Amino acid sequence: MGIGASLPRLEDERYLRGRSQFVGDIAFPGMLHAAFLRSPHAHARVISIKKPEGAENRVFVAEDLSGVARIRSVAKLPGFRGSDWPTLAKGKARHVGEAVAMALAASPAEAEDLTAATVVEYEPLAPVVTMAQALAPDAPLVHEQWPDNVLLDSKLESGDFEAAKRAAKHVVTREFRMNRQTPFTLEGRGCLAHYDGRLDELVFYCSHQLPVPLQIGLSQTLGISQRRLRVIAPDVGGSFGLKSYLEGEAVCVAWASLKLGRPVRWIRDRHEALICDASCRDYRCKVTAYADAEGKVLALDCEVIVDAGAYSPWPWPAGLEGMMALGNMQGPYDIRAFRGRGINVVTNKPAGQPFRGVARPISCVGHEMVMDALAWELGKDPAEVRRLNLVKPEQMPYTSVTRKQLDSGDYPRALRRALELIDSDGVLARQRRGEPDGRLIGVGIACFYEQTAYGTGPYGYSSWGIELVPGLEPAVARLTGDGELVLEVGSHSHGQGHETVYAQIANEVLGIDPHRVAVRHGDTYTSPVGTGTYSSRSMVTVGGAVDQACRLLKRPIAQIGAHLLQCRIEDVAIKGGAVVGPAGSVSFAEIGRAWYHHPENLPDGVDAAGLTAIAGHKPHDPGVFGYSTHAAVVAVDRDTGKVEILDYAIVTDCGRRVNPLLVEGQIVGGFANGIGNALYEESSYDENGQPLATTLADYTAPSAPCIPDVKLDFFEIPTPFAPYGIKGVGESGAIGPPSAIISAVNDALRPLGAAIYETPVTPRRVYAAIEAARAR
Amino acid sequence: MTTIAITVNGETMRAEVEPRLSLADFLREQCRLTGTHLGCEHGVCGACTVLVNDRTVRSCITLAVAVDGAAVRTVEGYDGDPLMALIRRCFNECHALQCGYCTPGMLAVAYDVVRRLPQADRARIKAELGGNLCRCTGYLGAVNAIARAAEIWSAGSERVGAFLAARDRR
Repeated sequence: MGIGASLPRLEDERYLRGRSQFVGDIAFPGMLHAAFLRSPHAHARVISIKKPEGAENRVFVAEDLSGVARIRSVAKLPGFRGSDWPTLAKGKARHVGEAVAMALAASPAEAEDLTAATVVEYEPLAPVVTMAQALAPDAPLVHEQWPDNVLLDSKLESGDFEAAKRAAKHVVTREFRMNRQTPFTLEGRGCLAHYDGRLDELVFYCSHQLPVPLQIGLSQTLGISQRRLRVIAPDVGGSFGLKSYLEGEAVCVAWASLKLGRPVRWIRDRHEALICDASCRDYRCKVTAYADAEGKVLALDCEVIVDAGAYSPWPWPAGLEGMMALGNMQGPYDIRAFRGRGINVVTNKPAGQPFRGVARPISCVGHEMVMDALAWELGKDPAEVRRLNLVKPEQMPYTSVTRKQLDSGDYPRALRRALELIDSDGVLARQRRGEPDGRLIGVGIACFYEQTAYGTGPYGYSSWGIELVPGLEPAVARLTGDGELVLEVGSHSHGQGHETVYAQIANEVLGIDPHRVAVRHGDTYTSPVGTGTYSSRSMVTVGGAVDQACRLLKRPIAQIGAHLLQCRIEDVAIKGGAVVGPAGSVSFAEIGRAWYHHPENLPDGVDAAGLTAIAGHKPHDPGVFGYSTHAAVVAVDRDTGKVEILDYAIVTDCGRRVNPLLVEGQIVGGFANGIGNALYEESSYDENGQPLATTLADYTAPSAPCIPDVKLDFFEIPTPFAPYGIKGVGESGAIGPPSAIISAVNDALRPLGAAIYETPVTPRRVYAAIEAARAR
Repeated sequence: MTTIAITVNGETMRAEVEPRLSLADFLREQCRLTGTHLGCEHGVCGACTVLVNDRTVRSCITLAVAVDGAAVRTVEGYDGDPLMALIRRCFNECHALQCGYCTPGMLAVAYDVVRRLPQADRARIKAELGGNLCRCTGYLGAVNAIARAAEIWSAGSERVGAFLAARDRR
């Protein structure tokens, strides 16, 4: 049941029996409910706000929030412009749905009635809706104190770009548009603040991915010490990056509870989520590859524009997406010269926020679309051009032109295996034969790596100079008086299954049955100060800390065991949840009893700190690098533009798999997110900045019939840089699908001379591309 | 206000409710049965699905007054039910849930599919699940779980008993 076992999840029982507890399930007597009045305009001056008569003390505007600081999230990157994010709009609203006032009442419906009775006078301003508008010389300004709408314009150049460019025989350029999405978690954002007068502290329940950083952010914004702030993230109904920022609504709710001394709860509804949750994946990119006669890429030139929305979220400031998109644009390929520019613009739309895969989906599309373009120009097989350019296993460890340190693996083998799984030769023959129904068949490939579990060093977050540099993770391991184990960690699970996999690590070290291990997380009362779950890091960093803590715990367990067995400590071993000596064994239960109940019998020299150990893990600075190849086979209906995925294979190396069943769950879940990105999901806006996808009928997250069965395979090539050779894997599945599917669709459309470089690949867009080719 | 009496998980609940109160809010706020989850409140995501007189119903767009006199079964209401015990085991073993928020609705649909369409193939199971959104799992775990549960259920009560007993011994 240790590392490598497909142990079904230990936490499932509560979800399967309706005993889980999400923030909306928690209620306190006397609780008030909050509702927010939101701007109907994308860009408008707030002239006046008239509270409903008789309810003046139940409706709050920016001026009422005494002592609340603005949310400010900056990076020390050259030229970075910080924006303040007001908790309630002050002076101006910068996107539809920005909160302007908060109302409190005995029920959500009554609170909404109060917001409806509040009258706001706006002076509408010209909105900045598109990237082109944001960059236009005479553009209206989202933030008046800035000279333009550019939040960060960063450049990255490496190798002898000009020389490589001169040496090139082939030059291909492609441009791509990935349209804005919303993360869409089944459980929306929400929080409940409850002032505990006895302890003089605020207990803050929140559906959040990072309870420990949230404690810091709330403390800074509210001006109360961290000691007086307990943050609890109970069960969290999905996050994928969304629930990692400090939201203005949370600050308002916490403030109100402190001010009134009453519990206050706010649960957003789906309409609010779709109009004002932080959004994601809003990019344009243009990539030029310079290659030699054979198709070996000598240099890459790329430009990425990111629509960052109106504000910079805390703790991860806007602008990092552009940096990440650039830094990964060379992909898993051996390219020695690079020039890139990443422009992050602000617009009158909700803030952008990292979402599973963060920037890598556009990087992947970027490097893969020029590989395809080169292959087509040279008349070669796209797989062959990729093989020619992939980093070879004998080159590992390999430092990329953008200073990524690919540490281990066999990238060409992953490509080969993925093509085998879809029977690429058979599909190509079928493609040549043609389909009886007239549909066009295409094959697409996406090769990429995933940098996971970044460290604190110059390759990681610290080089960006952000407010909160994450990295180190501690864990506490405690043997209970009856011989079971409690693990306390600073990460939190929003579906990943940490309660199972950390227990498996403990089993690996101590032999204890995972069913006798409790993982405590998501509560700053019990969580050691770690930073949490993101960047596919928990299994590596927190898993590493759990491993170390359990190893430390072996010492007192062995000491007490040796004493009970009346033998030397050198002669005992810890196995299967017991201490085994030459003449017998004692169970952990007996060890626990000896320490907690009868310390008087223990010899001198047994550590007085007892059966509790704390240890930490410092991740490898450059992170550890998993990788994948995705291969897709699609059929495109030329009359309707409909795309069907006929076959799909994913080959992944995430190093040693702690729990293969859960790894597959991560890959397939990411795959479904990627299919949404590729084919279905779009948060579109009209020319006034009004959101058009405001219900789940308009925002089409993929449902079960949209997800084809998928062929999976894994390599387990360990990284030398993490305990047990584990590489992170949480985001990998979501990175490849847009790229592989676009590649396949364009392969299918080639006979028509059509191509599409925009997601989602809707039937309408495919049909338009076919029509445009016909008209040429 | 309207007086209603709804049998919830076998127990009759009488209440004075506003006509606008949804069944989901009635279950969650008045019965304090919070296992029924609200994902969208406009009838798309399926998280709030419960059984009303043995048929799947979206409790977010069903008014409490409209099911006056009916029997409602929520995720909390399957104690001692062998089919749900089987489905739960299969969900666990096939990793059909991650964050667990959509799970109560998925279970209600699974219960319905196994009884109504025990021979359903994967495509049909996917179609039946089409009204239940999940953002974590990519659905394939749930499809596997329902297919396995249907297969075992169709083989008869002896097979179900043996399957569950083998798991309980572990």
